[in-house]
Amino acid sequence: MERADARNPAATLPPRQRLLSRLLADGLVVAAVLAWWAMSNALPANILPSPAAVAAELWLLFTDAVYLGHTAMSVVRVLLSVTLALAIGGLLAFWPLGSPWARAIVHERIQPFFNSFPSIGWAILAVIWFRVSDFTAIFVQVAILIPFCLINIGAGLKELDREALEMARSFTRTRRKILFKITLPLLLPYIVGALRIAYGVAWKIALVSELFGTGSGIGYLMGEAQQSAKPALLYACCFAIVLIFFAGEKLVLDPLSRRVRR
Amino acid sequence: MVSRERLAAHGFTLLVIAAWAYAATQVPPIAMSGPWTTAKALWAFVTDANQLKHMGWSLMHVGVAIAVSFVVGNALAFLAHYVPATALMVHGRISPFLNAFSGIGWALLALLWFGATHLTVIFSISMVLIPFALVNMKEGLATLDRELIEMGRSYTRSGLRRFLRITIPSLYPFMFATLRISFGVAWKVALTAELIGGGSGFGYLFDLARQDYRTPILFVVIVIIIAFVYCADRLVFEPVQRRLQRHYGTG
Repeated sequence: MERADARNPAATLPPRQRLLSRLLADGLVVAAVLAWWAMSNALPANILPSPAAVAAELWLLFTDAVYLGHTAMSVVRVLLSVTLALAIGGLLAFWPLGSPWARAIVHERIQPFFNSFPSIGWAILAVIWFRVSDFTAIFVQVAILIPFCLINIGAGLKELDREALEMARSFTRTRRKILFKITLPLLLPYIVGALRIAYGVAWKIALVSELFGTGSGIGYLMGEAQQSAKPALLYACCFAIVLIFFAGEKLVLDPLSRRVRR
Repeated sequence: MVSRERLAAHGFTLLVIAAWAYAATQVPPIAMSGPWTTAKALWAFVTDANQLKHMGWSLMHVGVAIAVSFVVGNALAFLAHYVPATALMVHGRISPFLNAFSGIGWALLALLWFGATHLTVIFSISMVLIPFALVNMKEGLATLDRELIEMGRSYTRSGLRRFLRITIPSLYPFMFATLRISFGVAWKVALTAELIGGGSGFGYLFDLARQDYRTPILFVVIVIIIAFVYCADRLVFEPVQRRLQRHYGTG
């Protein structure tokens, strides 16, 4: 009845089990694509286009000049709004550190407000306020992402090692030195955590800003594809998001997490 | 110190409402409806059975989606835990894929597959919530106290009994955390899904209000949702979670 550690499933299994687990995992992917192909033959193309048609559109999203422009626009917007949200959320989280009376303002007013504000509400209001523009899209994304950054960095500040801070205070009285030498390094794992969550939410939920707020980006393309009945493009957009999300995670976030942990 | 903090928080609330009221007088009513107009519209909303019906639909969508994603996500996590050969399939293929798939994508695809129905809305919310439940339960199962289960083995030989009496209760804090996160995220996704793929719920009201430039309705729906999520978090989730943490020591 000994069970393998769920954290690292493949490594602790005996060789035969490991082979079986690979077979199941990759078999599922192959089976899913085959099932899709079979179903696309049976269903009309405007409901389920074939994998080949979607793959062709997906290829265009990363090669065709016009499509690539939309893809790049989304990437730039996501990076920009994640950075802004991290900065604003971080500043808000740090505020009560210097002035303890502000704790309830940040954690019992601002945070729950942003946290419970519906994301589509931001999108619609921002379009009314600022019309359709790049600013609108980024405003909406930042507003959606702020609570996630604030909660994570706030949690980090709460967990901060008080004794380390106490000790630092006995060595130096310069606040700036304590901030950069002790507080920020201790906080780094939480900042990376906030970055990871914000990045995920940006691609999964905040893209709604492009559906309403702009005339460019993958979100806009999805809306277009739906309205002009181009289902292959819609599917391709969904998969493009999955690919870009993975790329960012594997190329940037995972190495960053590993570095912070060391 | 505490009273000063409270005072500052209440002062901040008043300041924001005052700023809101002032801003509303400075811009056209289409752009913003002030606190008083919103309050009147709120009263009209809660006394109108037709509007309340949409609130009920939204609640139904969110409730069913949370239940579905809770069951599916936990079932996948248990499968990976108890049948190690499936762990790579669940945590290496299914979970990352669902985790990377966009919520709007699910809503638009579901609209294509199921039309503008309740199923479309519930399906899109569930698909977004499943990875949250799955990842949370994976963490919970990883922290299971092996020694406690070992000890349970010396008391009973019935696996089912051990599972129900020891494993499941040790997982309560994680199940609860899943419900809390799901509730917050569900509302964010629900309105989008209803706007895109449904003829009912708050999201649908949003769409109507947007098209007719009936700004007060927008503000009323936003106020109701903020109040809803905030109250649920403060009055239900926080106290229960604190109790669970005291009882089980983790969370």
